[in-house]
Amino acid sequence: MKRIIVAAATAILLSGVTGGKGAAVAADNVASYSTDVQQSRLEFTGVQAGAEFKGVFHKFTAAVEFAPDALTGSHIDVQIDMNSVDSTDKDRDTTIRGKDVFDVAHMPAAHYVTKTITKTAAGFSAVGSLTLHGVTKDVPIDFQFTSMAGGAKLAGSAKLNRLDFGVGQGDWKSTEWVGDAVKISFSLVLKPKS
Amino acid sequence: MPNQSSPTRYSAVAQGFHWIIAGLIVTQFTLAWMADDLPVGMHKLALLARHKSFGMTVLMLAVLRLLWRLFNRPPELPAGMSKTERLLAKGTHVLFYILLFAMPLTGWMMSSAKNYSVSWFGRFTWPNLIGQNEQTFELLRTTHRSLSWLLFGVAILHILAALKHHFWSKDDVLTRMLPFTKSEKRS
Repeated sequence: MKRIIVAAATAILLSGVTGGKGAAVAADNVASYSTDVQQSRLEFTGVQAGAEFKGVFHKFTAAVEFAPDALTGSHIDVQIDMNSVDSTDKDRDTTIRGKDVFDVAHMPAAHYVTKTITKTAAGFSAVGSLTLHGVTKDVPIDFQFTSMAGGAKLAGSAKLNRLDFGVGQGDWKSTEWVGDAVKISFSLVLKPKS
Repeated sequence: MPNQSSPTRYSAVAQGFHWIIAGLIVTQFTLAWMADDLPVGMHKLALLARHKSFGMTVLMLAVLRLLWRLFNRPPELPAGMSKTERLLAKGTHVLFYILLFAMPLTGWMMSSAKNYSVSWFGRFTWPNLIGQNEQTFELLRTTHRSLSWLLFGVAILHILAALKHHFWSKDDVLTRMLPFTKSEKRS
């Protein structure tokens, strides 16, 4: 048994382009964080032959500028090493990295950067642009931001369709055995930038 | 077990279990052999997805069949059979029942060890039985394959025995398992 598929990637971020008069205020209030990659997790869930499977990206970096009360100046920027994908099975990982899926040889990185962040009843939501497999499209995310001793935690989720990004060429374009929809979840442990 | 008198023919339920499972087993061998020749890819994924769904169907039917068998006595073997023949017939049938469970269970464990969860025709997903482990997977694959050859051998023996009973011994061992036939009542 070997075969597989799928997937997608993600991340987060935001371009902190703040407008005119708000900029100075925002810059003062927004805290800058880097990510503790050891404790952070970036995971995706795809569907293969009717059953869900999970994978993670071991290597990614996230730069976060965030303050709950200064959202216009907040942003999240995540860079993902697509080669670090790990779905716990080497056959599946080989297929995912291959030219018909992630094509890491030509597109080794994915990038997510938020454009706007807004407050919601449950936390925050953002719209950002995701560049995956050489294709850039807007992807919304929902997340919670929790201040903790020595930093903060930013955790949330997103959904995307892999085929929107051309993830799946040739046979893998079919969604009969490998679902189009991919769920993303992330949990970033943030440390203040010194 | 109920102490009822033995029927002369297999009941419709027994025949149903027998022929549906037999058909599924033929399907399983066909899918597995087709998949074996394919490289890793979508076509192999599709064949093995069906193989797993049918395999889990066999497992569910095996549970029902065993339960049903515990409470329903099959027809007696023909009176003329020797002790050795009876032992061989009994042994073959016991081995079939063991394999009806062992084949799907080793397959299910294989998928679990590979962390490829087993779906049942996309309707629901079975839980993984064991953790992901490549060495365990290789061992289970070898076991699953070896058992499949054992099953193949036992099935050949079973079919030859049925034909022998029908054409050589001229008894009703074959016909009593066939739908739409009548067995001669033996005295």
